[in-house]
Parts: sequence; structure tokens; C-alpha cells
Amino acid sequence: MSRYVLRRVLVAIPTLIAVYTLVFLFIRVAPGDPAVAALGDYASAEAVQALRERMGLTAPLPVQYIRTLLGYFRGDLGCSLITNLPISAQIAAALPHTLELTFAGVLIGTLLGIPLGILTAVKRNRFPDYIGRMLALGGISIPAFYLGILLILAFAVRLRWFPVMGAGEFSEPFKNLRHLALPALTLGIIMVSFVSRMTRSCFLNVLREDYVRTARAKGLAERIVVLTHALRNALIPVVAVLGTQTAVLIGDSVMTEVVFSRPGLGKLMVQAMLQRDYIALQSLILIYAALVVFINLLTDLSYGIVDPRIRYD
Amino acid sequence: MKAVLVFVLMGLVLGTMGMGQVLKIAFDAADLKTLDPHYAAATMDRAVVDMIFNGLVRYKPGDITVLEPDLALSWEVSEDGLVWTFHLRPGVMVHPFAEMPEGYELTSEDVVFSLEKAADKNRSAYAGEYVGMTFEAVDRYTVKIVLPQAISASLLLPKFANYSGGFIVPKKAYEALGPKFATNPVGTGPFMFKEYVPTQKVVLIRNERYFRGAPKLAGVEVWYMPDVTARLSAVITGEVHVIEGVREQAWVEAVKRYPDLTVDVFGPGETEVLHINMTKPPFTDLRVRQAVAYAIDRSELIAAIGPDIAEPLCAAVPPYLAGGMTCEEVAQKGLLYEVDREKAKALLAEAGYPEGFEISAYITERASYRKPFENIQAQLAKVGIKLNITVVDHSSFHTLIRQDVNPLVHYEAWRPSADAFLTRFYHSASRVVVGTKPDTNFSHVTSVDGLIEAARYELDPEKQIELWKEAQIKLLEEVASYPLYILKFVFARTKKLDYGYELKSSLALYPPVNELTTLK
Repeated sequence: MSRYVLRRVLVAIPTLIAVYTLVFLFIRVAPGDPAVAALGDYASAEAVQALRERMGLTAPLPVQYIRTLLGYFRGDLGCSLITNLPISAQIAAALPHTLELTFAGVLIGTLLGIPLGILTAVKRNRFPDYIGRMLALGGISIPAFYLGILLILAFAVRLRWFPVMGAGEFSEPFKNLRHLALPALTLGIIMVSFVSRMTRSCFLNVLREDYVRTARAKGLAERIVVLTHALRNALIPVVAVLGTQTAVLIGDSVMTEVVFSRPGLGKLMVQAMLQRDYIALQSLILIYAALVVFINLLTDLSYGIVDPRIRYD
Repeated sequence: MKAVLVFVLMGLVLGTMGMGQVLKIAFDAADLKTLDPHYAAATMDRAVVDMIFNGLVRYKPGDITVLEPDLALSWEVSEDGLVWTFHLRPGVMVHPFAEMPEGYELTSEDVVFSLEKAADKNRSAYAGEYVGMTFEAVDRYTVKIVLPQAISASLLLPKFANYSGGFIVPKKAYEALGPKFATNPVGTGPFMFKEYVPTQKVVLIRNERYFRGAPKLAGVEVWYMPDVTARLSAVITGEVHVIEGVREQAWVEAVKRYPDLTVDVFGPGETEVLHINMTKPPFTDLRVRQAVAYAIDRSELIAAIGPDIAEPLCAAVPPYLAGGMTCEEVAQKGLLYEVDREKAKALLAEAGYPEGFEISAYITERASYRKPFENIQAQLAKVGIKLNITVVDHSSFHTLIRQDVNPLVHYEAWRPSADAFLTRFYHSASRVVVGTKPDTNFSHVTSVDGLIEAARYELDPEKQIELWKEAQIKLLEEVASYPLYILKFVFARTKKLDYGYELKSSLALYPPVNELTTLK
């Protein structure tokens, strides 16, 4: 398995270089200028040009490209063009919040989504199935930022159960969890929708298999048939969806962090985009890409846990 | 027992005064840009630097029409108007920083350093304001400023006020912190920088040694909250005390329904002007530009935004600045261009466009630009001018209009003087792309350079104002632009907050927080 992991890591390197190259080119093709964004419209053209030179934007594009790429190989993500702070420090401060939020969303999605999927499959075309499918469709249809606003209005403004903004300190777990609740629920509801629909679909297929019919014919209780015989076989596609959706969820966290005013990679990314902070944006997208690669690897490795017949040679 | 009683009483008194409370302000921003006052340009950055730094003079809190002493107690000017001497306030202490944990007394050496920094284009965005000036420390508390050419007090003093390059940066702190200064500022103001949490907040604490007395608040937290619903929710729940609002009547009315909140709508407001590119056909023809002016109904635009927030602007310089013109003055000159669409159509026909014509323009996604521009699009359509709009993000918009791609540019701006308005938008040197100092002259007008320069160096205030007005009349005659309205600022706050002054107008475009501000 270690050889498999090593091979995947090596394959990831050209993927990440390709991501960097595309981002480098696209953001420079887009109109907008970090120096103008930084100084605002009141600054003179001379001041803008002076800042552009200080930012290193007057160097030829190939020089900028290579300089940043070499920095990445040295582990240097560069400094923000706007705040001049090291991007690695900003990411180090923001990443735990994004990971915490994503993990909480996945946890809610898994713990509620799989049972809901099983329930709707087992009670197919009956009342629980209709309700479950309706909820899942609703969760998929609603954008994360809008769902977040609805939750804020209901649980923070009207009921005052949770705070509207911020993330709280990790050193204060209870406070931190109160801040986490609504954003995690926002992502969790979306995740529940995807996971329950996939679980239901896979379960329906598995429940038609001969070995399930055999188990039932042997007189096993329905609970054992479902949870012991059907569940494990239905889980592989669900794990695949969990992996893909976790990556999607990291993307959804961008708007969730903005709506809930939480620190995180998403908020950093929005700021970098608005300010045309090329260096920060390149590095952040690279980190996002690396996270997706890592999650995909974890997903592939988890197949072996769900189904021991799978080998990584 | 007595001691306990005194302690309890003190607690009650301090509690009543709001002592020990931390004020939380939320701005419409995802993060700060810079806290170096000589680069800070965005509202949320100006808000922070305004609490940390001082100028030699300052705008009276809440009223930008009055300048009063700040770090300088007094000043005088030589007879030839070339030498200005500022006498500093003794005993002003710079905030503590790592290398000097007790801080130090601010002297003329710091002031000279700061002004030289403000005048250096590699260390300041406002260097253009100080070209040719020299600064000298005469003694510990006296600073001499020598000008290359005499200018009036109304133009000079704002350059040394608590705004942009006028903020005084202490030399030793700046040199000790280096590039970190932009996110770890050190000044002399009522609040001291404590912490910056990227994308979340800046934390300031009370400066006990502030020269006007220790602030009544324990500190201020500036939060970055780009989502307006989240900001409003936070002020309703009391998690923040002041929020940047939406500059629309409907939003103001909606917030007024909350009994614990109050909405401040204040000036000076930004000017909203439609600049007409006189080099792009068919706008090379004066009759076409006049047709555009006659086709647009200001009152329709103002009604869409709301009468509390917008008021008519009829000339290039708003009337609240020296040299600005009121609508009555413009009407007296017969240059109001009140809406008359039949006349607009006739002018278009006369110019050879009886069926109108089609143009395309970019606009930013920001509502305060986009919505009125869409309104203008609908109004122009009534006289046969089809305006195709492409919406882009704000940064792209600023780049594109400076590349001279738009025949019509809707621009929102605040400038501190008539000279700045006229120079930046109407001097030939400021023409986008082709000017010698390309800036924001989108109309490419070149006919008022002489008047702008004559006014700049005119020392008689009355004559100066006349020259500025003459330039504006000429601009209206040429229809280089069509002034639309003044858009005021909207902030909502808890009624428990007392700014400590009457808020009429704020140069920093946000309600300033100072040593007198309290939370009940």
C-alpha cells in the first residue's frame, strides 16, 4: 500500500503544477490590477505604478511564473501583495477553521445521511420515503449561502440560541462549538441530501441482490439483513460520494465562511479574488487542489476498509 | 468597609459611563488592506487608522467644515505664503511598541519624517499632494514647511489634517517595525493597535495616555463582515454595535422598525457623475452630449435610491466644499439641463441620429453603481439611445475604465477639495491613457486647465471660489459630464451608543470613534 500511496503522491505533483499554471494564466488574463485594488481610486497613477513595481508585477510573466514555482518547491508560498503578510502563516491560521467546518459538515452528513438513505430505501414509496426524498431534494436545491442566512435568522436572530458571527477560540471548546453549530449545519444539510440520495439508490440495488433474498429466505430478521448483509455492500459508492462531496463541501465553505463571518480559507480566497492578490490566490487555489487530491487519496484508501477484497498493488 | 463602598460606587459610575466596554463595528469588507495611513484608502482601513493616528490639524469630529488643532497647537504663514510654521503640542506620547515598551514623546523629528514619507511615492499613495514641498524641524516642537508656490489655507491645511498623507507616523516605530507596520500600526491616537486576526477583525485598546484624555471605551473591535444580512443580524442580536449599512431608502426604513436601533445617514456623501467621453463618436458632437443630459431625469434616480440618502448634484464640485455650486446657482446660469426628452430627440435628429444609436459600456457589480446605471439605461432608451451594459467585478471595472473603453462612465467619488475634484476629473493631464499623469479624466476635456491652475495658486479665497465656479460653468456648457446626485453614507447602530459629538459629516466616510464615545 505504501508504494501505491507514493505513486499517487508523485502523480499529484504534475497535477498541482498544471493547476498552478492555469491559475497563473487565467488571473492575469482577467482585467483588474492588484495595485489599483490596494490603493483605491484616490491614489495617483504614479503611486499605482510605484506599488506595481514594488509588488514585482512589472517583471516579465515567465520570470514571475518561475519565481513563484521555485518558491513552491522550497515550501515558500510567498507574501500577500496587499497585506505583505506571509501566505503560509495566513493559511496556517485559517486552515484549522476550514477543516473544522468541513469535518463537522461531513460528520453531520454521514451520521444523518446514511440512516436517512437506509430508511427511505427500506420504506420505499411510503410516507418516510416521500418525506426523506423531499428533504434531500430541498437540501440539494438550496444554495449554501441562502441556507446559512435562513439558519441565522431562525436560530441566531429569532431564537438567540447561537451567535451570528465569528468562530470562537479552539481553547474554549464550548464557545467554539456554539460558533460552529450553524455553519456546520448549513454544510451538513447539503451533505445529508447527497449522502441520503446515494445511500437510498445503492441500497435499492443491493436489496434486489440474490444474497439478500437468500438471507431473507433463511429467516433472518430484516434488521440483520439490512445492517449486516446489505449495508456493507452498499457503502462503496456511498464512500465515493462522501469523498467527492467532501471536496465540494470545501468549496461550499467559501460562502459559508463569508455569511457567518468565520475565518477560513474561503474568506481568504474571496478577499484575494476581490483584491486581485495574484500571489495569495495562486497559493490558496493550490492548497485547495492539494486538499482535493488528498481527500481523493483517502477516499480510495478507505475502499479497502469497507471492502477487504480491494488490494492496492 | 469604606474601601468596598468606594470600589462599588466607582464601578457604578464607570459602568454608567460605558467604561470598560468594547465597541464592535462591522464593515462591508472581507479583510483589511493596509493600516499604513499613507496607503489606507478603503473605508474600513481609514476607520482604523483614524483611531490610531493624528494629523497636525483635524476635522472637527462629526463636522468636516471645521478644521481645528490636533498635534499642532497653532500655525502661521509667512507674508509671501511660502513658509508655514506649525507649533507642536508638547507631551504627546507615541503608543508603546516592542522596541520601546514605554513609547516616547512625539517631536518635530517624527513629524518631518512622516511628511517626507507621505511625499515619497515609494512609501505613500498620496505623494502627489506634497510635490516640491520641503520639511524642516526648527526645534523640538516646531516644524517648518516650505512650498514651491503659495497656495491658500483652504487647500494647504487639508494636506496636514487627519486624512491620508496628513496622518503623522512616528519615526522610531515605523523604522523598528518595517513592513510589519502595515498590519501592526503605531501612532498617537485615542486607541492603540492590539491584534489583527486575518479576515476576521482588528482589535484596538484604549490609549490611557491620549493627550485629550483617556477614551471612555476600553477598546474597539473592527469586524470584517461582507454579508449585509449577517451584519444586520449581528447588530440586532447585540453582537456588534455599529454596522455599515446599505445606501438605499428601503434598507433604512427596514432597520428603523427595530426599536433598539437607530440609523445614521450622514455626509459629506460621494458625488455620482456620468462622465461623457468627448473623443468617442457620437459624443464628439456637443448636441449629442446635450441630448444625453436632457434625457436623464435626476429626480427619477434619486427617487429610486431614496430622498434621505441622495440629493441632487448639479455641478462638478458638490456645494458643501468651498467652490462648489448649488443647483440654484447652476439654474441661474441656465445650465441645469432639466429633463426634456422631446428636446433630446430633436438634438439627436439635428446631430444626424433621428433614430438614436447604440453604445456599450462596462459597469461594476456594486449596487451603488449598477442600479443607477441600469436606470440611466432605461432613461436613455426613451430617446432612442440603446445602452448595452456588461457587468464586471469592481476591480475589473476600475481597470477597464482607465483603459478608456467606456463611452459613458458612471463614477462615484469623494475628494477633499474643489481643486482635487477638478484636477483629477477635468485637467488635461489627468486624461485616462493619454494624459501626462493619467488619472480619472474620462471625458478627455482640456478646456479648463487654465482656470484650475489659476484657482490653485489664487490666495484670495473669494477670487479662488469664482475661478472654480467659472471652470464648472464651462464644463456644464461643454457637457463633459452630467452630475447626477450626492450619495450619503448609511450606518446603523444600537441606541446605547453615543459617539460623543453630533454626526453631520465625516471625512473618513464612517462615523469616527474617539475618546468621547460611550456605550451605555
